[in-house]
Amino acid sequence: MANTLYAVTALFKTPNEIIAAAHAVREAGYTKFDVHTPYPVHGMDSAMGLKETKLGFVTLAAGILGAVGMISFASWVASVDYPQVIGGKPYWSWPAFVPVTYEIAVLSAVLLTVGAMITFFLKFPNNSHPLHDTRYMKAVSSDTFGVAIQADDPKFNEQEVKAFLKKLGGDVESIYYTEEFLNFKPQMFEPKFILLLVGVALVAAGGGYLTWNKLLFMPPYNWMMQQPRVNAQSKSEFFADGFGMRMPVEGTVARGFIPYPYKATDRADSVGALLVNPLLPTKKVLERGKQKYFTFCSPCHGNFGNGDSRLQGQFPNPPTLHSDKVRQWPDGAIFHVITVGQNVMPSYQYQITREERWSIVHYVRTLQRALNAKESDLQ
Amino acid sequence: MSATVIDYSKEIPVVEGVPSAASLDAAISKPIDEFPHRNWLIGLGITGTMLLIGAVSLGWLLWKGVGVWGINQPVAWGFDVVNFVFWVGIGHAGTLISAILFLLRQKWRTGIARFAEAMTLFAVLCAVQFVLFHTGRPWIAAVWLLPYPNQHGVWVNFTSPLMWDVFAVSTYFTVSAVFWYVGLIPDFATLRDRATTTIKKTIYSILSLGWRFSNRHWQHYERAYLIMAGFATPLVLSVHTIVSFDFAVSVLPGWHTTIFPPYFVAGAIFSGFAMVQNVLIITRKAFHFEHLITMDTIEKMNKIMLVTGMMVGYAYSMEFFTAWYSGNQTELFVFVNRAFGPYWWAYWIMFTCNVFSPQLFWFKKIRRSLLASFILSIFVNIGMWFERFVIVVTSLHRDFLPSSWGMFVPTVWDFGLLIGSFGLFFTCVLLFIKFLPAIAMSEIKAVVPGAQPTHHGNGAHHG
Amino acid sequence: MSTIESIIIPKKELPSNFVKTGWGLVIVGVVLAGISYATDSHRAVFNNLIGFAFLTSVAVGALFFIALEYIAGAVWSTPFRRVTEFLASLLPMAVILAIPLLMNMHELFHWSHKEAVEADPILKHKEPYLNEQFFIIRFVVVFGAWMLFYYLFRRNSFKQDVDKDQRHTKNNITLSAIFIPFFAISISLFAIDWLMSVEPHWFSTIFGIYYFTGTAICALAVATFLVVSLSEKGYFFKGINENHYYSFGALLFGLLSFWAYIAFSQFMLIWYANLPEENFWFIARWKNGWEYISIAMVLLHFWVPYFMLLSRPSKMDVGNLKRSSLLLVFVHFLDLYWLVMPTYNQAPVFGFFELAFPLLTVGLIIVVFSVQAKKYNMVPVGDPKLQRGIDFHL
Repeated sequence: MANTLYAVTALFKTPNEIIAAAHAVREAGYTKFDVHTPYPVHGMDSAMGLKETKLGFVTLAAGILGAVGMISFASWVASVDYPQVIGGKPYWSWPAFVPVTYEIAVLSAVLLTVGAMITFFLKFPNNSHPLHDTRYMKAVSSDTFGVAIQADDPKFNEQEVKAFLKKLGGDVESIYYTEEFLNFKPQMFEPKFILLLVGVALVAAGGGYLTWNKLLFMPPYNWMMQQPRVNAQSKSEFFADGFGMRMPVEGTVARGFIPYPYKATDRADSVGALLVNPLLPTKKVLERGKQKYFTFCSPCHGNFGNGDSRLQGQFPNPPTLHSDKVRQWPDGAIFHVITVGQNVMPSYQYQITREERWSIVHYVRTLQRALNAKESDLQ
Repeated sequence: MSATVIDYSKEIPVVEGVPSAASLDAAISKPIDEFPHRNWLIGLGITGTMLLIGAVSLGWLLWKGVGVWGINQPVAWGFDVVNFVFWVGIGHAGTLISAILFLLRQKWRTGIARFAEAMTLFAVLCAVQFVLFHTGRPWIAAVWLLPYPNQHGVWVNFTSPLMWDVFAVSTYFTVSAVFWYVGLIPDFATLRDRATTTIKKTIYSILSLGWRFSNRHWQHYERAYLIMAGFATPLVLSVHTIVSFDFAVSVLPGWHTTIFPPYFVAGAIFSGFAMVQNVLIITRKAFHFEHLITMDTIEKMNKIMLVTGMMVGYAYSMEFFTAWYSGNQTELFVFVNRAFGPYWWAYWIMFTCNVFSPQLFWFKKIRRSLLASFILSIFVNIGMWFERFVIVVTSLHRDFLPSSWGMFVPTVWDFGLLIGSFGLFFTCVLLFIKFLPAIAMSEIKAVVPGAQPTHHGNGAHHG
Repeated sequence: MSTIESIIIPKKELPSNFVKTGWGLVIVGVVLAGISYATDSHRAVFNNLIGFAFLTSVAVGALFFIALEYIAGAVWSTPFRRVTEFLASLLPMAVILAIPLLMNMHELFHWSHKEAVEADPILKHKEPYLNEQFFIIRFVVVFGAWMLFYYLFRRNSFKQDVDKDQRHTKNNITLSAIFIPFFAISISLFAIDWLMSVEPHWFSTIFGIYYFTGTAICALAVATFLVVSLSEKGYFFKGINENHYYSFGALLFGLLSFWAYIAFSQFMLIWYANLPEENFWFIARWKNGWEYISIAMVLLHFWVPYFMLLSRPSKMDVGNLKRSSLLLVFVHFLDLYWLVMPTYNQAPVFGFFELAFPLLTVGLIIVVFSVQAKKYNMVPVGDPKLQRGIDFHL
């Protein structure tokens, strides 16, 4: 035992005695003292003059943090980052976020409360306190009640305190710091320990890598990949022609697809007279037309349809779209040209959908009108 | 009713007699200090065998896939979901006893709270394995269960009740585990100071975090315990509520009914108490805790079972009544089919075990009989398992289209996993009562007569 | 320990301005109710239903708390049990309020029209349950049984004041064990008959529990208000402390959280499944101005009182307890208004019609309470648990 005094302690047999003792110690003006009881004794907080714990504020803050964080996250996921229609509900279906929000609020409140209590309020873990492994500690952990007045109390005087505690009827004993306690150094930063940590991390990472990248692609985990079925665009022994894929029945039309009956050899103006633009030139249609025009048409026809290609002569420039001929064409003629192509211009019917082509027609009309505005357009 | 009149002007003592704190320590830590009893080893052998059966079934399941079970269309949820709901339900009693009864200041909970909490953890573990393995390939399931950023830019679906389930069950498990551990800290410190070998002492020292029984610590500790109880109470309700949402948010007749949340919670408490009662009676006998877990405690447990049994009875009747009252033909069909269709036996086992047999608890003699309590609790467990079977299977097997009706026939692997889950549960329970204090020492010391001062400080608060 | 007799305050007469207010409210309420029946009986009958359901809530809720105290062996509430026993005597008043409803059933219940039932297959299906004869039988049986329990509970309790016999407690415990299962069924039937069947097509299995929770909160809030304000004026016994107040606050807090849970579960399941046979009920409460009432319900019935009672000191604060219990009494009116009135009109209405019955019922509560308080002991002096209740600490 080293000779540095930690505290003078006294043991009592009954809860009434310890309450009285705690009261007396506080009345005597000591501040650095503590009471040790095997279970919480009612009325001890006021006998010791302790203030209400502030732990509840941690809980409140943590709960609000968890709730706000989770509902914001769920809202962002479901309505901003990855919006999906689920069950015909709006993207931001708040009632459906209540359960997860609630759970996370509870989780964060409980975990942070306990974490704050252990680390900040109790300053744990701490297994090298002077009181550990003393007769005093063994007594209070079982059935006895103890009070300890610390040596660093401003009013502390060993003889006085001993006499005072004896007078209260306690079993008095002094407790000293141990050799180990005084010479204690944290071992966290010793190279051995750090090496151990690195080793554990490497093994965990390697194991994780092997599991997720190798093991899960071995039997039986890969059995789902080996199934007795025909894969798309592969051979099949089953059919006489050896093809895995089958031709559709003659005359089959894909869902949502409208066949285009005219050919590139048909005259644009005569075909155009037979077709009617199904779309109205609304703002939405024009915006879509503009977007598609810029993607597919403008490289050759120019941004405003003047035939001023952006291709620097790598490709023959098409004629302007503002010619009288094109302006007097019916809508259908432009549609026909986009669909089947003309001269060196190829067909765009597989790149641009039918509706988009009609939108482009509207946009081209807008471009033409812009160069030949009427008086009324300015009003 | 017995002729003796209880004196209502006095509190019913939590423990029998006035045991000293030291004798309580000795009694509670006796199973820990001693070499295991022969019966304990036999018990472990039995539960270990059951666990092994479960392990083999699980191995076969992982090797072949969920096709080894009896599930198919139209009954695509079978024993997996039945067992999951059953075990989660069992897991409700622990937190209920430790949190709700704590808030209601029911001191008799002290003797049973600790191992009821432990049973919560083990039951939730048993439940989790079923949700995990019913996904077929659980190692991939993480992608659509856990909301972590991934390279596909895909997030989990927060509007899905199955997703809520993942959050609810894992939160519940975590919070229960923390609650349990915080309760154990002072007991670990007591064990630390009782320990005779260095190994035990080291382990208990680490686990106790260096607890010193300081009142400056008790103050925060008690408040934290109160806060956790305050959170665990609505949490325990929310878990089975969300499990019930798995069914009730659908539009399936027999699943979609608004009473499901409170009905499931009542059922969970019911089955959980029955399971606690079973383990309690055995532990009490085996470890001579008769003076700590009194007959009054067992009687109170039986009363709660009687009440919750009537609650589920109310829910069964209300469901049936509303099925008729709604005027919805399919709804009514499902309920008539439950009671009188091909699975009538399951329905009536459920009804008999859950509603009729607990009515015997009206009699004080039966409430205070260990054997009767034990048998009736087993009945309740059977009944509650069948309740989930009825809900899952009978609602599915005859859906809107008569051409797609079918039957569910479980395979041997279904039963293997069920047995295995019981093996896991009871193995954990046996290990727990051997290695950790089965009764909260620091709590029971505080409720022994004479443990609290006779005069109080000036209006102090107490947890 | 001082003896019980020295602690109990034999004060029984309630403050005279309190009683006068009660009579004033009753008179104004009766006059307004009469005028409303004379001008627009259709609207009056719906408001009458709200008043009737409110009074039943207070009376039966009080009865429930009496039984709960016995069966749970609670001690903290024993000194205040007379408050609930007095409130339970509002049951006959509730029956009186039901009489104009039963006379005007056709105004209230769509299913009571024979020709409407014939034209509607769903109502035709429900006819074995929803018909006037069976409805009245249920009303008589349920209220008759409640009155019987009310009579027996109070008889035992008052007898105990004189002879201090513990057997009365035992009898009342047995009575409670019988009452509580019956109560669960009867209050569900009451809720289905009087509130759910106002919208005869709608159904919800949780509805009985929903109404029960509202009942419990309302009765407890009334009791809390009376206990807190009377004990502040020196009634009951010496040494009432924050431990008692805390218990009231904590119970209110727990119940209102439970209410939120039940209400949210009902809404969530109907909203999520979105079945037309159920969701029309909530849709009707989310348009034409009803959405403001619905939002007010969420705020006033849950969030505001939740935060008012959240912290430990706030549950012990006398002023805060009075405010929050008054708020909870008000929101029970709001709740009933929200349940009943969308059937009367597509948009929320408010006028003297809506004031008549709240004034009348609140007045009745005060008057009945003060009459009872004058007649009987304010504290159950013979109860064996009384001393424990007075000494109660957390």
